[in-house]
Amino acid sequence: MSTLLTYISVKDGKIKRSSLEVLSRCVELAGEHGHDAAAIVIDSDASSYTDQLMNYGAGTIYTIEDPIFKNHLNTPLIRALSLAMEKIEPSVLAMASTEGSKDILGALAANQDAASLADMSEFELTENGVKGKRPVMAAKIIAKVEAEEYPVILTVRAGSYDVNEVEGDTSVESIDFSFSDDELQTTLKEILSASGDKIDLSEAEAVVSAGRGVKDEEARNMVSELASLLNAGIGASRALTEAGDYDPSLQIGQTGKVVAPQLYIAIGISGAIQHVAGMANSKVIVAINKDPDAPIFDIADYGIVGDLYKVLPPFIEEIKKLKN
Amino acid sequence: MKFYVCIKQVPDVNAPLQIKDGQLVQDADRSILNAYDASAVEEALVLKETHGAEVEVVLAGPEKAKETIRKALAMGADKGTHILTDENSNHDSFTYANILAAFFKDKEYDFISCGKQSQDTDSGLTGSMLAQLLNLPYVTNAVALSYEDGKLRIKRQGDVGQEIIDLPSPGLITCSNDMNDPRIPSLKGIMQSKRKPVDTISADDLDSENDLSPKTKILGYEEKPGREPGQKFDGEPDEVAKKVAQLLDSEENLI
Repeated sequence: MSTLLTYISVKDGKIKRSSLEVLSRCVELAGEHGHDAAAIVIDSDASSYTDQLMNYGAGTIYTIEDPIFKNHLNTPLIRALSLAMEKIEPSVLAMASTEGSKDILGALAANQDAASLADMSEFELTENGVKGKRPVMAAKIIAKVEAEEYPVILTVRAGSYDVNEVEGDTSVESIDFSFSDDELQTTLKEILSASGDKIDLSEAEAVVSAGRGVKDEEARNMVSELASLLNAGIGASRALTEAGDYDPSLQIGQTGKVVAPQLYIAIGISGAIQHVAGMANSKVIVAINKDPDAPIFDIADYGIVGDLYKVLPPFIEEIKKLKN
Repeated sequence: MKFYVCIKQVPDVNAPLQIKDGQLVQDADRSILNAYDASAVEEALVLKETHGAEVEVVLAGPEKAKETIRKALAMGADKGTHILTDENSNHDSFTYANILAAFFKDKEYDFISCGKQSQDTDSGLTGSMLAQLLNLPYVTNAVALSYEDGKLRIKRQGDVGQEIIDLPSPGLITCSNDMNDPRIPSLKGIMQSKRKPVDTISADDLDSENDLSPKTKILGYEEKPGREPGQKFDGEPDEVAKKVAQLLDSEENLI
């Protein structure tokens, strides 16, 4: 009997869906193998999330609350997770793959002398460890990987598992934590947030994504209109974030964010492997591109060969009609 | 300023590859300097040009990876160290981080940098592992940096936006390929690189405090389950746009 611990990412009063996906998978595995499933929230306001978290099957919800966690800083987060691992002694610590968890995974594993598996698309328990799958070679190939011994720390790609609500008893336990600012060697000067009030791309149910074919303000306005109509997040290919047309935090692909929404609409995106690596797990893919040979059509469920300037206006009109 | 850049030789992910008996098979000649590491080299060279620095590259890898050290020297790095590992080793990120940590143990430096991940595995573990093993403050996923008053001012891409962070010396950074466009070595650079010093040491001779056996292993490879291409519409924009919107509503229930 051991514990599968899920680290829950939170921001501005909301729990990230990708964290609940990971928790649901851990609850399922704990049930199959007779282990405990637990969750941990580390935030300046950690205790405010426990009610929301009750319905997902964690036997214990741990909280570590300290003002230092208002913004992401790697040193205190590693310290808090190390403390939690030493106290809870989980066999597995699982986290959703985010920029925050990517920032600390290696350091935390080295700190805890644990095995680490990054960006898993599937995972299961073995006798004393974890095995699973992760995309490699720009997500063209799947590697089957294994960590033979506990403890194992792993991150999981968004969209790999479904979220399940589970009834059961849950207790809440707060872990004492203190951190002095003197221990912080790096200094966070400022956060430049361009996507403050917009929809979180990695959590969105629908994503409208712009590529090289989106050449001017007229096209960008159509992308925005379509996105707001579908309540979708806006994404972009690397060409457009590099050109400064879209904020770098909106980049989808091997270098940027990995998304797996219900609906992905690729507008003027050719479908280079580096981009596809970040969106190929979307449920339904729609592509609009004037090049009939664009590789995006190889993975699109609905491909429209045509000039986006001519296709988008009637597409938007029809969706408006269907919405009413 | 002394700047070490850790680099890796990786297979070119754009080259054709196949799976045979569960193993990856690729044209052996298509090995390249990891693109993220190339951005780390480029950024160190820019600092060298603006503030003066000695830039040394360190690579842990088999004999054939030496050409990748030459590439970094041709770009403008001053010297290189090749930590020789067995061609058929089953090293994971943990092993590499420990090899590098053993190398840096008795070195003096202001900053160590590396790519934020390698192009072939995309794990992104070695950088922050190395920082932890050396007990250094670190910043990952840097997209821009400048040097002021002995500190690096780093812009990193975080989850909600870009964070501006000051990193004191000694410290470690991992670089995004969004940071810059790495220079292509000039003919002069290539000629000069041949005379630049490269130390070769064996990984086995390094005095590591930790067990170097890997904690993870690759069991094999398989094809990614393919996505079947769906319906393709090629016709009057008005008609096909309407048709697809209607299908998204009636067939997929997504509108």
